[in-house]
Amino acid sequence: MTKIIPYLRRTVQALSFLFLLYLVIKTAFPMEIKIPVDLYLRLDPFIAIISTLTHKGLIERMLPAFGVLLLVVILGNFFCGWVCPMGAVIDFFDRFLFREKKRAKAFDDQPLRRFRYGVFIFSIIAGLMAFQVMYLLDPISLLTRTLIISFYPPAIYIFNHLLPQAQSLLPKNPFFISSIPLPVFKVNLFIFVFFIGILALGVIRKRFWCRYLCPLGTLFSITSRLRILKRSVTNDCTDCQKCVKECPVGAIPEEAPQDYRQQDCVSCFKCLECPPGAVSFHFNRPRWKTVDGVNLSRRYVLGSFAFGCVSALMIKTNPLQSESGLKNNRLVRPPGSLPEEEFVAVCTGCGECLKVCPNNALQSTFLEAGLAGLYTPRLVSRIGYCEEFCNFCGKVCPTEAIRPLSIEEKRLIQIGVAHIDKTRCIAYDTDKICLVCNEQCSYHAIVGDDKKRSIVKEEKCTGCGICENKCPVDGESAIIVYASGVQKKLKPENFNNKG
Amino acid sequence: MNKSPGKKLTRRQFIKGAAAVTAAPLIMEALPFYGTLAHGSSEADLVIAKSGSPSQLLQAAMTPLGGMGRFVKKGQRIVIKANIAWARTPEQACTNNPELLSALIKMCYEAGAKRVAVWDHTCDNYQFAFARSGLKEAGQKAGADVLSGHGRNVYKKVEIPKGKKLKTAEVLRDVLETDVFINLPIPKQHFATELTLGMKNLMGIVWDMELLHKIDLHQCIADISTLRKPDLVVVDAIRILTTNGPKGPGKTEDPVEVIASTDIVAVDAYSASLFKHPKTGKPFRPEEVKFVKLASDLGLGEIDLAKVRIKKVSAT
Repeated sequence: MTKIIPYLRRTVQALSFLFLLYLVIKTAFPMEIKIPVDLYLRLDPFIAIISTLTHKGLIERMLPAFGVLLLVVILGNFFCGWVCPMGAVIDFFDRFLFREKKRAKAFDDQPLRRFRYGVFIFSIIAGLMAFQVMYLLDPISLLTRTLIISFYPPAIYIFNHLLPQAQSLLPKNPFFISSIPLPVFKVNLFIFVFFIGILALGVIRKRFWCRYLCPLGTLFSITSRLRILKRSVTNDCTDCQKCVKECPVGAIPEEAPQDYRQQDCVSCFKCLECPPGAVSFHFNRPRWKTVDGVNLSRRYVLGSFAFGCVSALMIKTNPLQSESGLKNNRLVRPPGSLPEEEFVAVCTGCGECLKVCPNNALQSTFLEAGLAGLYTPRLVSRIGYCEEFCNFCGKVCPTEAIRPLSIEEKRLIQIGVAHIDKTRCIAYDTDKICLVCNEQCSYHAIVGDDKKRSIVKEEKCTGCGICENKCPVDGESAIIVYASGVQKKLKPENFNNKG
Repeated sequence: MNKSPGKKLTRRQFIKGAAAVTAAPLIMEALPFYGTLAHGSSEADLVIAKSGSPSQLLQAAMTPLGGMGRFVKKGQRIVIKANIAWARTPEQACTNNPELLSALIKMCYEAGAKRVAVWDHTCDNYQFAFARSGLKEAGQKAGADVLSGHGRNVYKKVEIPKGKKLKTAEVLRDVLETDVFINLPIPKQHFATELTLGMKNLMGIVWDMELLHKIDLHQCIADISTLRKPDLVVVDAIRILTTNGPKGPGKTEDPVEVIASTDIVAVDAYSASLFKHPKTGKPFRPEEVKFVKLASDLGLGEIDLAKVRIKKVSAT
């Protein structure tokens, strides 16, 4: 019976990852799936706590995460070992690609184990002040972001190139189907390298990321010191060291296999495979004290704290983040986004909105929004425009950084205003009739004058960017959408068109 | 070079042979066309059917033309170029009437078509346009493939020998290769070209539609029409958009008409008269829509409606 447990765990991990993959794939038109596609992010208590603090209020969608935290109190840190899709990926690569180096001496990880808490304190302090570093390191957000930005476009690329071959094998079908529009994201390589870097750390130590860096794991570690499902070892223990060797997270100390570091244990139950059968798990009173805990000195904690404060101040006083006039007015946020400062504080950069956007209009920022806004979504109209009858980005945002809006509300949100560059516009520059922007505008915000040249009606323009997208001028468009600062609600009486 | 005297090819023989080889495929290509002429049971070149349900209107419009059997033979492949360009509902009259599309597809199948495909290169996102217009559902229910030209792989780069300004274009491969090509436009007011009619609908078989605006919109519409003349044009004038075209929504009118013809210029010349000119307040004359005039100059059809055999029928 106990022999099945490791296999069972591996199966659950694989299923968990596949389920995440399924949800990511389903994050697309027509969004008829009953399960929330951002389920894993909603179950992430780290994101829940941080976004609640930065948002200064409870986010309804993130409530299930606190349930997970409660489960961790009961079962111990089962999440890392059984559910975490990032853990599953790391386990897979540790096994097949990035194998741990064999060492003559035992690996002393005492300083590294402390490092995780340092990172945790740093990222929370820096995050609450300015720089959302913790979202970059949150494993769930990191994994969905990597899957969407770095792996989804190549998958579509391969599919599109296999499609013609597959079609040629079907003699009965004389019709050719359009390939899927290829999604493109600028930061894909950067995110890919970061991800591979994390996986490659497995060469130093199995599950290096989970043990020494992951902030979600740190939160679970702290919580699981309150666990009530506890490991106990009877006197039958022969000190054979089997459990010490096999523990995937090294939570059992060599010198005392009867004990275990309850904060590191991921409840994988592998140690139940004990030759004399001395190991068992029972519910017991929680006990904060643990063996072989991390030596968090006051100096270390204060140091991390101060480091977090200072880096946050550095970012706050950077011209990109301040009102210095370097503000990027091409930084158009998706409709329904919170005001900029709150937005970067709550957006986890998970990439769900980038995936669901039917026109590939939402792009991940790199440094356009400053360091604080790394990997947040922006509308790049030249790549795609905001579809009139689509409100999917608000539907999939786990932290409601993009608020869920009804179609009618969304159609009245002004995210920017289009401006015509008259020196480049075909109609102004030559005597040709173009009016593509007028033809495409969904909101009657572009009218033509008597010479059939376009004029933008600012009070009707929502900044959807369809005009910028379809403008036939080569290179940069002759009509450009600039962000209007705070998103405004347009007056509905300006619209004679009911959807 | 061949020195054997008995088999020497004279210049005359060579020219004759070459001419025969060149002409043979041309004649063979043209044969089905003569076949349709020989069918000869058509009473009119342009039929206007009024008042009735969409399927009745279509039936009434097709019968005087010689029925669908004149155009569709057993086992043939049909491509319908519908207008599914915008994410608008059918009532807003920016896209085709779903019932009419459905009736047209069924009529093709009844005439023995092997497979019917409905194509459009949408302007809005294809998923939203196909869903909101109700045309994908209607088309699929009738048994057709409703396909979107959003991928460049379904286009083929071709030369347009008769084109004046547009010399090459990437055009839907299926349209070029199909046996029968049916154009199903919906006439609308259009700010840039005054009206969007049958030929304007053919812009949706081109990959880079915006480029046409850049070159010269009116001439390009005429040029594109020279490439693959539709075998049949069915104009969906059940409800037309008279303001804010082509995307709408705007004011609509209900002429409740279906117009069928083989002449792409004549059909546009007639459809133009459904709209009132914004300046004069009188119905549009064909010459006032520049691309119709240019197409007539290219010899694509008859712009003078007095020279066309027109038949008006009532569907009920």
